[in-house]
Amino acid sequence: MNPIALRFGFWVLAPPLLIAAIGFGLQGLAAANSALFFTWGFFLEVLLAGLLQGVLYALVALGFVLIFKASGIFNFAQGSMVLFAALTLVGFIGMGLHWTLAFIVTAGVMVLLAMVVEKVVLRPLVNQPHIILFMATIGIFYFLDGFGQMLWGSDVKMLDIGITKETTFILEGVFEGGILVNGFDLVAALVGAVLVAVLAVFFQYTRVGRALRAVADDHQAALSVGIPLKTIWVIVWSVAGIVALVAGIMWGSKAGVQFSLALIALKALPVLILGGFTSIPGAIVGGLIIGAGEQVAEVFLGPLVGGAIQEWFAYMLALIFLLFRPQGLFGERIIERI
Amino acid sequence: MTYGAKHIGEPILKVDNITLAFGGVKALSDISFAIREHEILAIIGPNGAGKTSMLNVINGFYHPQQGRIEFRGVERRTMRPHVAARQGIARTFQNVALFKGMSTLDNIMTGRVLKMKSNLFQQAIYWGANRREEIAHRQTVEKIIDFLEIQAIRRTPVGRLPYGLQKRVELARALAMEPDLLLLDEPMAGMNVEEKEDMCRFILDVNDEFGTTIALIEHDMGVVMDISDRVVVLDYGRKLADGPPDEVRANQQVIEAYLGVSH
Repeated sequence: MNPIALRFGFWVLAPPLLIAAIGFGLQGLAAANSALFFTWGFFLEVLLAGLLQGVLYALVALGFVLIFKASGIFNFAQGSMVLFAALTLVGFIGMGLHWTLAFIVTAGVMVLLAMVVEKVVLRPLVNQPHIILFMATIGIFYFLDGFGQMLWGSDVKMLDIGITKETTFILEGVFEGGILVNGFDLVAALVGAVLVAVLAVFFQYTRVGRALRAVADDHQAALSVGIPLKTIWVIVWSVAGIVALVAGIMWGSKAGVQFSLALIALKALPVLILGGFTSIPGAIVGGLIIGAGEQVAEVFLGPLVGGAIQEWFAYMLALIFLLFRPQGLFGERIIERI
Repeated sequence: MTYGAKHIGEPILKVDNITLAFGGVKALSDISFAIREHEILAIIGPNGAGKTSMLNVINGFYHPQQGRIEFRGVERRTMRPHVAARQGIARTFQNVALFKGMSTLDNIMTGRVLKMKSNLFQQAIYWGANRREEIAHRQTVEKIIDFLEIQAIRRTPVGRLPYGLQKRVELARALAMEPDLLLLDEPMAGMNVEEKEDMCRFILDVNDEFGTTIALIEHDMGVVMDISDRVVVLDYGRKLADGPPDEVRANQQVIEAYLGVSH
């Protein structure tokens, strides 16, 4: 059989089968243990809420993937870029701009930031080991963190760009009581899907993709064949900045714009380990698995251990992946000379 | 070894009074020489003589404090890597600098980056002009793969290849740029006799068939004397000698630099 069709079939069939298996497993557990509770309608509702939450994780993880692809470094500052973008957006809206206009201006600010980062931080560190660049991004994290709050103040701000927060019930005929869906989560999922599709197409495996990988592997060699290192860095950091802005809008309107936004980067880490640091589709798949997994585990297994599974579930999953598949689901194969 | 029909032309690249210092350390002082069209020029000298620094100045990684570089009649204070690549200067590195996660084929294809004309949007959707272009470039690359006899490792990630083959892939990537001037930094370091003979043959063939001008750094004196048309000797950042192999071999200063002087 055609291997491509086989692979395609696997990816279409595997998720529903996996979900069904988990559902039946939980159902069995609930039947055996009176502390647990299970109905299919409730299971699907929790699963859906988890998947939609996962899209938000994926939005943050995407920013990491972009910069990792083009430089081989983990950009510690991605979280503070999310915060900085959200703060700037709220700041411009506060000045009386309509949110669409504020979005465009903020996107411009993020591009400017990318240029400054390239000129001040990356360019002087060309051809240095990755760990040096990584440490430089820690510096960028603290700078942006402080600079953003100095410019726009450090109090918690509300961000409302008119995304519906209404909830509706769907599939009322199929399950008793139907499934509760949050309109905001659906919008977030849609935005996430569009963003991933656009980026995946743009950075796919043609000349752009090849140039990115080349830059990530060896600066000097990339320069010697005429790949414009500086241009690529500015483009990638700009795109990562705009992705951070979108993530900031989504998280900011959900939870308010405040310092803790910078820390959602910690949730992106297990997503990256699952999906693979270099894969754009991997970020979304990893996000979905983490989001759905932690919700389902919390609700259906939580009573067994007294709850709070959600806090550590993602990291445990990441650890298991590190043991058995360190490159993640879609990451590049690890090359070793034997 | 000489080629009866080979025509060595006018200088294609000239460096004039190049001085390069890192802090207080002078890597190169007042170096001038020329590389003539179609010739094979060897740059030799003891370790730390400034050979690699010289190549880095020529392709723009280092910017010398003094001096001028003239390539194909255009005089510059300093070169830039991107400009050098676009003007037709390709190079390889002392410690193989390949893109380790990518296959041999993809590594060589990166050498075609500057030759590709389709715009970013077309590349992104991989359609129309871009698709045709990718295929055309692939044909050129396949010719180079045949030329260097690396068909069997086309799909292998280069990180998995033995050192000798990695060096060959690096040469292939440089050739994919169809350069006028090829800079090779110790192309035969760490190779066994057989691999060295292969590499010598490839260098001579490139020079012969494509007329590519080659400047190479090499420590193996047998190889240098065999394949080069002219030799430049550096020692402690200064130029000791410049001339045909036989003449350089007889030069007293060169002998002293290599063997030491008895006082």
